Amino acid sequence: MNTMRQQHQRRGWQVRAGVLVAGALVAVACSSGESILDAGLPPPDTVPVPPTAGPDGSVATTIPATTTTTPLADLPPCPIEALEEASGTVELTFWHGMNNELEDALTELTNEYNAGQDKVRVTLQNQGGYNETIDKYFQSGPGGRPEIVQMPEYMVQQTADSDSTVPIGACFEGTGFDDSAFLPRALNAYQTGGVQWSMPFNVSNPILYYNKKIFEDAGLDPEKPPQTLTELRQYSKKIVDSGAARFGIAFDTGQDNGGGWFLEQWFSKGKELFADNANGRSAPATQVMYNNDFGVELLTEVQSLVADGLAVNVGANPSGQDSFLKLADQENPAAMTIGTSAALGTIKVVLDGGLIPGLTSDQFGIGPMPGPDEQPGVLVGGASLHIVADQGDAEAAASWDYIQHLVTAEAQSFWASKTGYVPVRTDALDLQPLKKTYRDDPRFKVAYDQLTASSDDPSSSGPVIGPLREIRAVNSDAVSAIFGGADVAATLEEAAAQSNRLIRNYNARN
Amino acid sequence: MLAPSAVILGTFIIYPLIRAIWLGRQRCNPQGKNCDTTGWGQYTDVWRSEEFQQAIWVTIKFTLIVVPLGVALGVGLAVLADKYLGGIGVFRAIFSSTVATSVAVASLMWFFLLEPSLGVVANIGWINDLFPVVKEPGLLNDPGTALGSVALSSVWAGLGFTFILVTAGLQGIPADLHEAATIDGAGGTRRFWNVTLPLLGPTLLFVVVVLTTRAFQAYGEMDLLTSGGPAPQDSTTTVTYLVYGDTSEVRSDGGLQATTAVWLFVVLMGLALVQLRGLGRRVHYGN
Repeated sequence: MNTMRQQHQRRGWQVRAGVLVAGALVAVACSSGESILDAGLPPPDTVPVPPTAGPDGSVATTIPATTTTTPLADLPPCPIEALEEASGTVELTFWHGMNNELEDALTELTNEYNAGQDKVRVTLQNQGGYNETIDKYFQSGPGGRPEIVQMPEYMVQQTADSDSTVPIGACFEGTGFDDSAFLPRALNAYQTGGVQWSMPFNVSNPILYYNKKIFEDAGLDPEKPPQTLTELRQYSKKIVDSGAARFGIAFDTGQDNGGGWFLEQWFSKGKELFADNANGRSAPATQVMYNNDFGVELLTEVQSLVADGLAVNVGANPSGQDSFLKLADQENPAAMTIGTSAALGTIKVVLDGGLIPGLTSDQFGIGPMPGPDEQPGVLVGGASLHIVADQGDAEAAASWDYIQHLVTAEAQSFWASKTGYVPVRTDALDLQPLKKTYRDDPRFKVAYDQLTASSDDPSSSGPVIGPLREIRAVNSDAVSAIFGGADVAATLEEAAAQSNRLIRNYNARN
Repeated sequence: MLAPSAVILGTFIIYPLIRAIWLGRQRCNPQGKNCDTTGWGQYTDVWRSEEFQQAIWVTIKFTLIVVPLGVALGVGLAVLADKYLGGIGVFRAIFSSTVATSVAVASLMWFFLLEPSLGVVANIGWINDLFPVVKEPGLLNDPGTALGSVALSSVWAGLGFTFILVTAGLQGIPADLHEAATIDGAGGTRRFWNVTLPLLGPTLLFVVVVLTTRAFQAYGEMDLLTSGGPAPQDSTTTVTYLVYGDTSEVRSDGGLQATTAVWLFVVLMGLALVQLRGLGRRVHYGN
């Protein structure tokens, strides 16, 4: 009896288990084919089209001189006098995402600040990288946040919308801060609606890294890197045809590289807006515009470089190293790659240390990022410093004091020469050690020159879009599909639709 | 008596779970504010969405590689090392060493092995000749091999755990059973299938349940090795990566993240039940 009942039970369970598994499989098999971003929402066609963009996509293309969308009066004030009144030492915590050489240089600047006065003490907390800093910051309540946070350039809109920071513009006003020596482009990158949200600190942009020896082998002038995509094609063809290297250039599809950031850069070089409402700077962006003719033409050109065997796609590049390592490939190297100028200092140290066989630091050259036309400009990349609100008046005032220290001409001269970042102010170039670095090693100055060469077109201030980080993920997928041979126009159309979905969702809840 | 554990469980497990289920009915902004309650329909929408279906399918494939391979290799190594020979301790230490290796360290090691430009494996001549994919575009960059390669690093990292548990299980098998079987004329292979394996049942069940759960929750490998790519197929975007990964489109919407995570919980719970009830009945606990 007992065994029979056990058998029955066993069979019962087997049946139930089978039903469960089968049910799961059926459920898996039946996909709605819809995006997860629409989950829980009414179908998109019932959502009214935002009025700021016309049905034909016509949008404002100029930034109004003054706007009243977010006047400083409604934002947290900058209580600069509170530091004087504070008794004892004000303790500050600074969340940053700087690693390797960058972290060393930041530590040195901070130690110098801490040693130079006894009113404020700053403790650095490395969060691991930008992504980690972002997640931790936005998911913390005010009590868990630091006094100062470093946010990358693609987070401007989201940080502004979080109502959690003291706009640095209020401190500018309060102290009569002299920003005349600052690069206007660096300041503009962190402005929307006339408000200066944060202080540019580490400004980078993409530059071309290339192997001079391969250029020589291919009969090219190693001091004359290609300036445009057309020249990039000619150079690559010469390199590949001569057998100097297997590939002309290595592209990647990382979202903060070739899959997202470079796309925004290329649009700026082509004087094209990436999103409506003047790249989201006159009013919050309501749609992206990169699926236009310019975008199709641009990516068709890039796609053909890969299809013709002149360029190679190294993929998602999660470590950020794959594109650089392709230059050191023993068998099938590429002669060039595009990467952030912030890697320059680290790469020099790595190559000087002999870590990459057969490649010395003198052997690599730096050129401006090749773009769709002769226009040399680029967008500001990197990150800026925010004063976190509601951490106390003395703390806010102390944060402002520390931030000013990080952007003095002396500090920026040291910072830029150590890292490859662009100094945020012109007078840093007259001071040592940057004066010497730029004179002795002009490679460090390429990023500075191409940034200051940007035009005053609205497209020279990059897109500020709430979900820009997610949009870059969408674009990264699109760029990899295009590298893989997908139809450019259709892929961009689909990516733009997904991006607009992200924007719509974001705007509905901010 | 129960109060301390009830408080701890309630605060750290039950309350967050209920909160997550509740949050899964909402769509929120990146600060987790201005949430709109959309209702339970959000759960069905997420389940049926293209991204989730793709992710659960990737997760199932990943688990189907990691668990059987992990168990087979773990048992194989444990049986090999379960001998009383001089110096066997060295091998046991080596085989169990991966238990002391974090996922991050293991992933970075595999990254430097598989990296196509300078990686060790990718630049061995005969491997390249046999499998050109190792070099171009690289195992982690090819949509066909990426998931398998990530799974391999995961199997390797989990091997120490399986090895230690199975070794302990083997030492619990009385030697006289093997002797009796030998006297009855059973050879080594036969003894393995008819004595060792059935008596390892409880250990193996435990190992399978834990490995399955781990495989469903694997995150570090995908984050460090592939970023959920290669795109655009998102060949290694598992459910966990969809919830939290750097390249995930839902990572700034706490509501959608919660919905997806709760689904992962439900699937895992169902699986564990099936495994315990289904396989558990077949396991011999020796009483």
